[in-house]
Amino acid sequence: MCLLPVGQGPGARGGQFRGIARRPLSRESLKGPRSLSQPLLAFLTGDSMQRLLILSVLLGAVLGKEDFVGHQVLRISVADEAQVQKVKELEDLEHLQLDFWRGPAQPGSPIDVRVPFPSIQAVKIFLEAHGIEYTIMIEDVQSLLDEEQEQMLAFQARASSTDNFNYATYHSLEEIYDFIDLLVAENPKLVSKLQIGSSYEGRPLYVLKFSTGGKNRPAIWIDTGIHSREWVTQASGVWFAKKIVQDCGQDPAITAVLDSLDIFLEIVTNPDGFAYTHSTNRLWRKTRSRTSGSLCVGADPNRNWDAGFGLAGASSSPCSETYHGKSANSEVEVKSIVDFVKDHGNIKAFISIHSYSQLLLYPYGYKKAAVADQKELDEVAKSAVAALTSLYGTKFQYGSIYTTIYQASGSSIDWAYNQGIKYSFSFELRDTGRNGFLLPASQIIPTAEETWLALQTILEYTLNHPY
Amino acid sequence: MQPRRPPPPAPGPPRPAAPLLALPLLLLAVQGAAAPAGPEAAEWRPDTGPPHGLLRQAARAALHFLNFRAGSPSALRVLAAVQEGRARINAKKECTVDLVFTTERYNSEEGEESLGKCSARVFFRNRKPRPAVNVTCARLMEKTKRQQEDYRLYKQMKQLRNPLDGVSIPDSHGHIDPSLRPVWELAFLGSSYVMWEKTTRFLHYYMAQLSGVKQWETNDGAIDFDYTVLLHEFSTQEIIPCRIHLVWSPGKPLTVKYHCQELLAPEDASGTEEGSAVAPTELSNF
Repeated sequence: MCLLPVGQGPGARGGQFRGIARRPLSRESLKGPRSLSQPLLAFLTGDSMQRLLILSVLLGAVLGKEDFVGHQVLRISVADEAQVQKVKELEDLEHLQLDFWRGPAQPGSPIDVRVPFPSIQAVKIFLEAHGIEYTIMIEDVQSLLDEEQEQMLAFQARASSTDNFNYATYHSLEEIYDFIDLLVAENPKLVSKLQIGSSYEGRPLYVLKFSTGGKNRPAIWIDTGIHSREWVTQASGVWFAKKIVQDCGQDPAITAVLDSLDIFLEIVTNPDGFAYTHSTNRLWRKTRSRTSGSLCVGADPNRNWDAGFGLAGASSSPCSETYHGKSANSEVEVKSIVDFVKDHGNIKAFISIHSYSQLLLYPYGYKKAAVADQKELDEVAKSAVAALTSLYGTKFQYGSIYTTIYQASGSSIDWAYNQGIKYSFSFELRDTGRNGFLLPASQIIPTAEETWLALQTILEYTLNHPY
Repeated sequence: MQPRRPPPPAPGPPRPAAPLLALPLLLLAVQGAAAPAGPEAAEWRPDTGPPHGLLRQAARAALHFLNFRAGSPSALRVLAAVQEGRARINAKKECTVDLVFTTERYNSEEGEESLGKCSARVFFRNRKPRPAVNVTCARLMEKTKRQQEDYRLYKQMKQLRNPLDGVSIPDSHGHIDPSLRPVWELAFLGSSYVMWEKTTRFLHYYMAQLSGVKQWETNDGAIDFDYTVLLHEFSTQEIIPCRIHLVWSPGKPLTVKYHCQELLAPEDASGTEEGSAVAPTELSNF
């Protein structure tokens, strides 16, 4: 059963989860030149009746909710000295709780005052009765503060919850790892973080497990970012993680999937490469492993799997972008997944996500021959693509790797299929070359949303076709 | 104020310029390097039709060539869809592809839907680059509008201040500053020539990123600039840096000189490639 997350109501924020959590206010942005020391001053000098009044008002302010909903800031224009005096009278009425940002001085000088909601009627009637002109500078102080808060949070380095995490931008490795920890903390009954190994340069390889219980349930594997320069994939992985959590208990389809299956999601499958794309070379694809006898670094982690390893469709040169590595599973990033999948023993679907080209592929890549389940996989791919296209009209082609793009040996889904994982698919997300790897961040969420529809189709199919 | 270009090093042997054809009002017909003459011993493809990949390959080659020859950065086209096509391969493994495809504007605005239809014949010489292209397209943009857009872009380029060479276009997040958009579009125009020349039966290219942009002052008001473009090569996945020198004026022929670095020498590459081109025949010296 999908359970509700810690400390939140159901369906808190559907859809795009770009919502900003409300936070307690800071009064800093509201302080005008005069602060609440005024009532205190009056308290010390006033008579006992007044003191009682002031005290009750002050207590109310301290114990009550600190917010500024409905408060307005008025700009008062005084025409002559008489009007200045009238406004000073207003100032003396403590119970109105007026906060003068710019106090009454002389005719011609504007007077700015924040008026709490309960006092607005009274103040306006007073001003109008005395023919004193005013304009409303701020209609609702609280909304202004909220807007400001939103903007501040957008620039904040660290999101404090997965609800104020910015899904519409690209993130660093550290930010993604922080996100993972936040997601787990917010949803401890559904999500857990597993470390399946360490990268060549010693970075942890984290996999998120989504499970509503059971013991070694049949499961679905999804990986993003195996090629580090394909940034829209890691970004989509982050979105998927949040989406699963959102939909669990809300969406009948995903709830049904999670009732019987587990989902494993590795968001940054190649963290060394990813860090390198941030620090040095945005277009780095491979791992960062060192090969003795060569100055060139890294192997292509999607040519390193034990399926047609070393055959045509990969390069034996360490300097090549498709260098297959010195042997199958030589790359620890690959070996860790292999070990995990084999140990688990009950993976029923295996999905690797890449960019770009807008394709949905199934095995084989290393040879032309069709897989035994070709017809079925083709049908699943067809309906997954239809679901994807239905959202924004994004066109995808589908077919086997070999016939749709080119011969590629040692690829992850070929290996998975040969392990007996029938529903093995590889995605190539947006676009088709206009922006390529450097897909504008504004396309992250649309890409993730449409891809999710295809993934959901595959998840549901896997649920409904156990083997 | 842009700096003056330093005198060039001793030039290599000039490449022959491709012949100019008359431009009819409505259609743009462009012919590339020499196509094979006369009927060869053709081996017809089986009735299943050519693989879709081959047709797309031919479409891309045709479009790069078309874009370069049209010489207009505001009328750049990209492939929308291949509609039909057939291919034949001869005994020498040379491949002739005839196809019909639709295009859309590269710099299209949101919601703009204009699909200019093209027909092309593309001849691939086995694994050799620089396919011969004969392409005809229905006009995508009204002539005066195109000229206005080109001129606007020209003015924007002239207003750009150096130094631009530290800037990457787009940045890591895929963002291009609106003031730098003209640089990208002109660079795409120049790179089209390079991508056409490098395309083979099996290799194709996309522009990934620009850097090292430097604009020079000219006597005749032309736009003269250098840039490095990173080309993403399929199916090798390699990133090929090419240094390109481009000279352009609205309505005038484009001149391109380039030098690509092949970091890895795959089976058929020669290591480094140089090329230069002058689009239809005005006598120009650069």
